Amino acid sequence: MQRDGAAFWRLLSAQAIGIAVVALIALGAFAALLLAAGKNPLQAYVDTVVYVFGNATGFAELLVRMTPLVFTAVAAALPARIGLINVGGEGQLYMGAWLATAGELALQNHSAFVLLPALTVLGFVGGGLWALLPAILRALRLVNETISTLLLNYLAPLIVSYFIFGPWRSPESSSYPESPAFVDAARLPTLFHSRVHAGLIYALVCLGLYWLALGRTRFGLQMRAIGGNVEAARRLGIPVMSYTLVVMFIAGGVAGLAGMAEVSAIQGRLVAELSPGYGYAGFLVAWLAGTGAGGILVMSFLFAVLGSVGDMLQITQNLPYAVINILMAGILFIVLARRPIGRAVS
Amino acid sequence: MNSALLIGVVASSVMSGTSLLYATIGEIVGERAGIVNLGLEGIMLIGAATGFAATALTGDAYLGVAAAALAGTAVNLIFAYLVIGRHANQLATGLTLMFFGLGLSALIGRPFLGTLIAGLPKLRLLGLGIMGNPLLSFDVLVYLAVPAAVLVWWLLFRTTWGLGLRAVGENPVAAVAAGLSPSRLQYQALGLAGLLGGIAGAHLSLAVTMTWAEGMTAGRGFIAIALVIFAKWNPLWAIAGALLFGGAESLQLQLQAAGADVSPFIMNMVPYLLTLAVLIAWGWRRQGAAPAALGRNFVGVE
Amino acid sequence: MARKLFFLGLILGALTAFFAAAPLSAQQKPPLVVGAIFVGSVNDYGYNRSMKDGLDEMAHAIPGLKLLEAENVPETAESERIMEGMIQQGAKLIFATSFGHQQFAFNLAKTHPDVYFEHAGGWMMSHNFGNFFGATQSAWYPMGVAAGKMTKSNTLGFVVGVPIGYAIGNVNAFEMGARSVNPKAVTRVVVTGGWSDKAKEAAATNALIDQGADVVTMHVDSPATIIQTAESRGVYSIGFQSITAAQLAPKGWITGLGFTWGPFMTGIAKSVIAGTFKPAFVREGLGQMMAIAPFGAAVPPDVRTLVMASADQVEKGFNPFTGPVTDNTGAVRIPAGQSWGGDKMGNFDWYVDGVIGKAK
Repeated sequence: MQRDGAAFWRLLSAQAIGIAVVALIALGAFAALLLAAGKNPLQAYVDTVVYVFGNATGFAELLVRMTPLVFTAVAAALPARIGLINVGGEGQLYMGAWLATAGELALQNHSAFVLLPALTVLGFVGGGLWALLPAILRALRLVNETISTLLLNYLAPLIVSYFIFGPWRSPESSSYPESPAFVDAARLPTLFHSRVHAGLIYALVCLGLYWLALGRTRFGLQMRAIGGNVEAARRLGIPVMSYTLVVMFIAGGVAGLAGMAEVSAIQGRLVAELSPGYGYAGFLVAWLAGTGAGGILVMSFLFAVLGSVGDMLQITQNLPYAVINILMAGILFIVLARRPIGRAVS
Repeated sequence: MNSALLIGVVASSVMSGTSLLYATIGEIVGERAGIVNLGLEGIMLIGAATGFAATALTGDAYLGVAAAALAGTAVNLIFAYLVIGRHANQLATGLTLMFFGLGLSALIGRPFLGTLIAGLPKLRLLGLGIMGNPLLSFDVLVYLAVPAAVLVWWLLFRTTWGLGLRAVGENPVAAVAAGLSPSRLQYQALGLAGLLGGIAGAHLSLAVTMTWAEGMTAGRGFIAIALVIFAKWNPLWAIAGALLFGGAESLQLQLQAAGADVSPFIMNMVPYLLTLAVLIAWGWRRQGAAPAALGRNFVGVE
Repeated sequence: MARKLFFLGLILGALTAFFAAAPLSAQQKPPLVVGAIFVGSVNDYGYNRSMKDGLDEMAHAIPGLKLLEAENVPETAESERIMEGMIQQGAKLIFATSFGHQQFAFNLAKTHPDVYFEHAGGWMMSHNFGNFFGATQSAWYPMGVAAGKMTKSNTLGFVVGVPIGYAIGNVNAFEMGARSVNPKAVTRVVVTGGWSDKAKEAAATNALIDQGADVVTMHVDSPATIIQTAESRGVYSIGFQSITAAQLAPKGWITGLGFTWGPFMTGIAKSVIAGTFKPAFVREGLGQMMAIAPFGAAVPPDVRTLVMASADQVEKGFNPFTGPVTDNTGAVRIPAGQSWGGDKMGNFDWYVDGVIGKAK
C-alpha cells in the first residue's frame, strides 16, 4: 500500500508539473501577444492573482464560475466512458432550466421545502430527456449522437425564447422578455453571505457520485467494460442499449441541473441568454481531465481562473473579454500537441 | 404571396446562404478526407475579422477576401498539424479551434469596430440583374459560390486527387497500400477547407453586414457542419441545403415585413428540425453516406 | 526530490513576487472612480456610443475622475462579476447601461451599500440605486412627421430588435407622427429577435424595402447596419440612439434621435462626490436627455420647420398618447379624455392603427 501511495504522489506531482509547464508556456506566449497589441499583460496577471487569491469576493467569484463547468464536464465525461460523445451540454442546460421554470410557475405558492426539490428534479429530468432523444437515435443506429446533440443545442435556446416571448412572458415587465421572477422560495440559497450558491454543492455531489459510481459500483464496472470493447461487453451479456439510454439520460440530467442552478440561483428567472458556452467549455474540461473526477475538479478551477483573468483584462486593459479564449486555446493546443498516442481519452 | 415577397425571399436566401455554402463545401472536403472540424465557426470568424481589417486598411474589398482566405488557410493548418501530425483528438481540437477563433478574431477586429467600409461591390451579370430585376444583383462571391461547389464536386469525384482523398477518408490503410500518403492529402484537404472557410467568413463581414462584431457568425459554422450531413457529403446537394437554411432565416423576416403573423423562433427551428428529420430518414434506410474513417485518427504504418 | 523542491520554490518565489508587486501598482487617488459596463461595443454609432459620449463628457467635467469601462458585457451573471471587479478596483459609482444588467447591478447594490448605481432603462430603485432613461416615445413623434413628409411610397419601415413595450411605444409614436402629416402613411414592422444581430438586421431592412418602404428606421442597439443597407438600396433612413450616425448615409439621411446623457451623468457623479446622492426614477425627453440629430442634405426647409415645430411641442409637453387611440385591429385602446403617461410606456403590447405587424 505504501509503495502504491508513493507512486501515486509521484505520478500526481509529475502531472502537476507538466500542467504548470504548459500553463507557463501558454501564459508567456499570451503575454507576448498582448504586449504586441500594446497592452500590459503582467499587470493583468498580477491584478488577477491578487483579486482571486487575496480577496474573499474574488475567490467566491471563482467558485461561482466553476460550478456550471463541473456540471457540464460530468455531462460530457460520463457518456465518454461508454464511448459516446455528448456535445449537447448547452442544449441540455437550457432544457433543464426550461422545465425547472415550468415547475416554478406551476408550484409558485408552495414552500421552499416543496419547491427546491421539485425544481431540482425537474431540472434533472428536463436535461435528461433532451439527452435521451439523441440516445434513442443512437441506440436505434439512426443518427450519430455527436451530430444530434449538436443540432439539439440550437433547438433548445429557441424553445426557451419562444416561451419567454410568448406564454411565459412576464406581465409585470412586458417591457422585457423574460419569465416572471422566481419567488424567493424557489431560489437556491447562497452560502456564507457570498455569491457562492447551493448549486456548487449540487455540482460537487454530482462529481462525487460520478467518481463513486464509476470506481466502486457494478454499474461503473459494466460501463467501463462497454467503454473498453463494446462487442466483448455485449457478449458478456451487458445490455449495451440500456446503458446507452440510461447513461445519456443521467448525463443530460446533470447538465440540466446546471441550467436549473442558473435560473434559480443566478438569474432568478428564465432569460434568453443563459449560457456563454458552458456546454462546450465543459466538454473541453472533461477532455483535458481525461474524464477523471479529480481532473475535472482541477480543470474547471483552472478554466474559472482563466475567466477571471479575462475579466481583469477587460476592466484594466480595455481588451475584449473574448481575448481570453486565445489563452485558453493556447493551453489546450499545447496539451493536444503533447498528448502521447494511445492515451485513453474520449 | 406577392411577387415582391418572392423575389425578396430568393434574394435574401441567396445572400444568407452564400457564406453557408462556402463553409459547407470546405467542411465536406475535410470530412471526405476523414477529418471533422468542429472549429469551423472559429475559422469563419477569423476570416470575417481578417477580411474586414484588411479591407479597412487597404480600401480594397477584394484584397480583404484574399486576406481572409489566407488567414483561414493558415489557422486551419494549425488544426491540421495537431490532428494529423500529433494525432490529437479531432473533436477536442476542433472545439479548441472554435474558442481560439472567437478570441483571435476579437483581437484582430477590435481596432476596426465601427469602421465604415464600402464592402464588396454589387455586380450585375452582363449589365443586367438576373431577370432584369435590379434587386438580384450580387457581389462576386455570390456568383462564384455555385461554381465553387461544382468545382469542389469535380475535384472530389472526377480527379485522381479527389479519389485518393476519398480513399483516405474511407480506408486509410488501404490507401497507404495503394501508395498514397494520407497525411499529405489530409493536409491539402484541410488547407482547402481553411481557404473556403475564411472566404465564408469574409462574405459575412464584407458583403452581408459590411461591419465587424464579435462572434458575428452566430453559429453558422455549426450549421455548416450539420449541412454537410444534410448534403450527404456531396457539394452539389450542399447548394440546395445552403439555400434552404439561408432561406429559413430570411423567410420569417420577409413574412413579417409582409404583415404575416409568424413566430420568429418557430421559423428558426425549422432548418434544424428538417436536418434532424432527414438524418433520421437516412438512418432508417441505412444510408450511411459518411466516409467510413471519419473522425478516426489514423495511426498507421507511416 | 531536490528537483521537486526546486520547482516548488520557484513557484512560491513567483507568487511572492506577484504579491509584492501589487502594492507597487497603487496610484494617486482620484476624486471618484466610476465604473461603466456596455452591452456592446462603443463603436456602434448607437446606444453604446451615446453612453460612452455621456461618460466622456462626465469625465471631462470632473478633473481627475477615473473611468473603468468594459464593453461587450453580456446581460448575464458575467455582468455582476465585471461590476464586482470594478468595485474591487475602487469604483464608487457604477453605470449599468443596458436593460439586462438591472438585476445584477441591483444584487450588487444590496451587498455594497456604500457604492452607488445608476441603471438605464429599468425600474428598480433603492437607497443607492437609481434609474434613468430618455422618454423616447414622445420624441419619436417628430421623427414620424419627418418620415411622413419625406416618403413617396407612403410605406415606412421599422426594424425592432426586441418587441418590448418601450420599443412598441416608439413605433406607435412614429406612426402617429407620420399620420399627422400624411394620412396614408403606414409603417411595416420587422422584429429581429435580438438587440444586435447584424445579419438579421440587414435582411430585415431588405425585407422592408422589398415591401415598398422608402424610409427605414429602427430600434436596435446599433443603427449602422440598417442605415448602411438602406443607403445601398437608395432609400431614406432615420437614425436612433446616437446622433453621430448621419455620416453613414450621406444621401439618404433624414434625421435621427439621439441620447445626450452627459449632463445627467455629470450631475450624478458630482452628487456622489458631494455625498448628496438621491435615488430617482428619471425619465427626460427632448431637450434634456434626448436631442434631434442634424438634418440630412435631402431634407427641404419646409419639412425641417415642421419637424422642429413638432419637437418643440413635445418639449413643451405634448403627449401623442392622448385618447382616443385605436389599435390596428380597430379596438379603442386609449379612450377619449385619457392619456398614457410616462409610467405606462412599458405597457404597450398593441400597435396603433396604421402599423402593419403583430405586437404579441
